[in-house]
Amino acid sequence: MTTATLNNQGLKRVRMRLITAVIVVFTLTCSGSFGMEDVISSSGPGFTLLLIIVLPFLWSWPMAFVSSELGAAIPEAGGLYRWIRRGLGEYWGFQGGWWWTLSLWVDSAVYVALALDYLQNKYEFDGTTRAIIGIAIIALFTFINIRGLDLTGWSLTLIQIGVMVPFVIFTIMGIAKGSGSPTEPFLGTDSFWTSLNLGLAIMMWMYSGYESMSTLAGEIENPQRVIPRALMIGTPLVIITYFFTVLAGIMAAGDGNWANMWTGGGGIDFVEAAKIVGGNTLAYLMLISAILSNVGLYAGYLATGSRPSFQMSRDRLFPKFFGATHKSWGTPWAAILVMAVINAVLINFEFDALITIDVFLLMFAYILIFVSVIVLRRREPDLPRPFRVPLPTWALTIVVAIPSAIAVIALFINGVDWLIGGLIGILTGPVAYLIFKSAYRGVTDEALEGATVTPNGQLTEFGAEVEGGRA
Amino acid sequence: MTVNSLGRWTGICGVLAGIAAIAGGLYARSVQPVFGIPGFFGLQWDLAFSGVGMLVGIGIVMVVGGLLSFKWPSLGAVIVNVVAMVGLAYVFDRGQYRWLPLLYYWAAPWVLAWLAGIFAGYALHARVEPHGKVASAGGQSGPAPGAAA
Repeated sequence: MTTATLNNQGLKRVRMRLITAVIVVFTLTCSGSFGMEDVISSSGPGFTLLLIIVLPFLWSWPMAFVSSELGAAIPEAGGLYRWIRRGLGEYWGFQGGWWWTLSLWVDSAVYVALALDYLQNKYEFDGTTRAIIGIAIIALFTFINIRGLDLTGWSLTLIQIGVMVPFVIFTIMGIAKGSGSPTEPFLGTDSFWTSLNLGLAIMMWMYSGYESMSTLAGEIENPQRVIPRALMIGTPLVIITYFFTVLAGIMAAGDGNWANMWTGGGGIDFVEAAKIVGGNTLAYLMLISAILSNVGLYAGYLATGSRPSFQMSRDRLFPKFFGATHKSWGTPWAAILVMAVINAVLINFEFDALITIDVFLLMFAYILIFVSVIVLRRREPDLPRPFRVPLPTWALTIVVAIPSAIAVIALFINGVDWLIGGLIGILTGPVAYLIFKSAYRGVTDEALEGATVTPNGQLTEFGAEVEGGRA
Repeated sequence: MTVNSLGRWTGICGVLAGIAAIAGGLYARSVQPVFGIPGFFGLQWDLAFSGVGMLVGIGIVMVVGGLLSFKWPSLGAVIVNVVAMVGLAYVFDRGQYRWLPLLYYWAAPWVLAWLAGIFAGYALHARVEPHGKVASAGGQSGPAPGAAA
């Protein structure tokens, strides 16, 4: 990547190569297959592999397509917040942006905590050392993120090499040397629905994140072209990665050991499975891969999770401080820093209860995105769409109805604590809007900073610049 | 809908949320007098901090918030939503699935509180003049700094 121009929001647009964009998408949606172990023991080997192939068509492909269409039509900083705002108005735009941001503030801290868990299990250090290492990781990636998307892209590329090289070796050795059957038994329990419920919640999580990269649109040259292409390449790449690594994992665990596969200690995770087929060396490499996987997820979500709050601030719906940009590096440093500070505080406390808001908030934001794409298709049929899902609106409605239904189901299958935590989280949306709107008043649609299209569907001067960069 | 009617709907939903909570609490008391968790944020169980007590007590606050919404929709809706969150936090107890019945009682108040928040949000959006509005005679609004359009 090479740095390019500064846009009218004070953000620096970088020229991101397609391969880097694909790696960013891959990081946000996959970053290795850690976590899949729990699906295998819950749903059964055969059913897990079937879910890996089928679920994307019902869940992640629709989101990838919708994100591509909306991201190409409205390639603006803040991504999904601006899409929902254009489709459903300021109130719901804020709700989507708020819920998504709140979820990411909590969720991203989980990745640092998981990386620390892996390290602590290996090296058995005390709480103080754990806190220092955690804050050091956060500080490092905060600096990288504030320094710019080009450096973030490079760091994610290096991290993903570190994640995937051990996985490739493991996959080859697991399939060649493993004795476990990938299809027997097909289900993990006697009941199809129980097997589905247990695995679906985790699998949906594993196949989420396709909307995330859109939030970076304000800082990438030709976002309307780069992001859809990266999504179209990244989505099948994730499916292939999950399928072959899980296949290898089931085989490497050994005959009948699929039921003992889980994360969190005591079970056979990918690190233990690597030890079975590749000895201590491969196990050590997989441990490094697991740590890097979580660190990469953190770095990626620190980048994307901070952008909606920046854009909402510029739209006068969030404290002004969040809208500050770095004069030289052209990044929303304040929004990144606030998110990092929240993460640093969270990793030093027991924040399990807070994580329970995640699923509900993300699923509600997803439903708003799906509704927005249909509303915009009907209300603004002539809106320029450099990428358009190759379906008529009625067919697209059916396509997005399926993941919307799955999202609703997900609200109820994660457990009562997640349901209650989510219900509380949802109510924070109206309260936050009432407070911030009263305090900052918002901005008219005609005067939105960084808008590429006017409310009438005409390209703005800024939008023409973005389009011009396509040449 | 006009600002006034949006405010009215905020109040109606807020009051109904409170009534639903109170009615749920009274019904719960009639079928199971000691319904609820024996301890909340360090407070030991008694009738006031039982599931029944929380439903009725928070329901009363919601009714007050709903009534305030008729005059001040934003203030009233914030009260209704915040106390609904407190009520749900009371139900929240990781892994304690035995409190699921209590969650059923909070379903209607939650939906109505959320609706009150939505109506109040739309009322506020209609009432507040945003930045970037073309100034009317004597108006002070101007374009947002750096506005592109």
